[in-house]
Amino acid sequence: MAQKKRIPTPAIIVYWVVTLGLFVGGLFLLAYYTPANLRTPEYDAGAAQKIFYIHLPIAINTFVAALLVGVAGVAYLIGRRLVWDDFAYAAGKTAVLLGGIVLLTGVIWGRSAWWNARPWFVWWEWTPRLTFSLVLWLLYVVYLMIRPSIESANRRALVCAVYGIIAFLDVPLVYFSTKLLPDLHVPPGQAMSSGMKWTLLYWFAPITMMHVGILYHRFCLNRDERALYESAYDNEQTPAVA
Amino acid sequence: MLMLRQIYWLASKDILIEARSRQTIGLVVVLGVLIIVVLGLGLEPSQTSGFSATAILWVAYLFGGVLCFEKTMAVERHDEALAGLLLAPIDRGAIYIAKLISNLILMFSLAIVVTPVAVLLFHFDLSAALGAFVLIMSISMVGFAAVGTLFSATISSSRLQGGLLAMLIFPISLPLVITSSQLLLRIFRGNQELSFSGLSILIAFDVIFLVASWLVFELILEP
Repeated sequence: MAQKKRIPTPAIIVYWVVTLGLFVGGLFLLAYYTPANLRTPEYDAGAAQKIFYIHLPIAINTFVAALLVGVAGVAYLIGRRLVWDDFAYAAGKTAVLLGGIVLLTGVIWGRSAWWNARPWFVWWEWTPRLTFSLVLWLLYVVYLMIRPSIESANRRALVCAVYGIIAFLDVPLVYFSTKLLPDLHVPPGQAMSSGMKWTLLYWFAPITMMHVGILYHRFCLNRDERALYESAYDNEQTPAVA
Repeated sequence: MLMLRQIYWLASKDILIEARSRQTIGLVVVLGVLIIVVLGLGLEPSQTSGFSATAILWVAYLFGGVLCFEKTMAVERHDEALAGLLLAPIDRGAIYIAKLISNLILMFSLAIVVTPVAVLLFHFDLSAALGAFVLIMSISMVGFAAVGTLFSATISSSRLQGGLLAMLIFPISLPLVITSSQLLLRIFRGNQELSFSGLSILIAFDVIFLVASWLVFELILEP
């Protein structure tokens, strides 16, 4: 079979250049437009507090990715088209990637904050938010791990669709159950200055664009990979009806 | 009414097979006791006082439960029995509920044996709130079985089921583990009353996954 070379179209190049530009702009905003530190007598947010402006948009994007896995799962169960499974797989991957970044940035941020002149967290505490991000991340790591262990493409898509739906339904339950865990310290709620608010809002743009871009490329890759596989093993093409 | 009778027939068929062959329950109970013993050997006596009961018992219930789910579905896979079941004029939802009931009966029999063994070996003192303990664990088990029954039907045709089923069910069931252990910690260590807000998370878990599984089951069951 003739290999088709994937050449990025001008639209895709422009898309990534714009995303990169937004990233650079965001870094300038972070450097010059936000307060260097947040400090009250008992709470010192530490030098790493600026991570927050990236942390929150990524966390929101993780939820979006989780939602997409679930929606694609429903679509697969109804229509039984493997394209939905390709999409769910791509969304699952970005969910793990972004969830991992949320965990890392959260841990770094927590470690650098000071409360009553001692570190707020050690690297890890079983507080509600940390536990919630960890369980959420694990849910989607499992989603990726189970895929290779099922051979038939239709069966794999089925199991993963069901898992994707159930995992998304699980997210609010995980959230409420982790709220039962004892919370050590809650940093004092501070009114955000307009600079902080706008920087935070701004950062949603590059991160969401990055997310969508990765999702798109991953999806194309999955789809082409499956097409290649199906053309190599023609007998694998079982009818779409279960 | 017919549906209730169908559920009764299906579940009693499973239980009858189990009562005559006794292939699952013996395996599951022995596994549960073994897990308890291994944990007992590994933990300091001071670490195993009352409130760590949930953690230790959950490990036994989780692994025992996975084995139950696998076995009750394997019965149907054997000799293509599932094809016959699917051809019968029975609603798929009824099949799900019946499987859930037979799984729950197996898991409760596991718990009835394993819990006293753990109490005996670890000197757990559950007398302070025995009712709350039974209530929390029972509600959790219903939710766990709801998820487990669904996934056992989903993957039972693939060859690598063993580890795979545990991988699928454990992370989904984590809210149950977190909630029940936190609630029991508060009751046994903090001497607090059983709060309805905590219990409602467990109930919500049960309701959400019972309904979702019942809806999805129709689409996934295939010989």
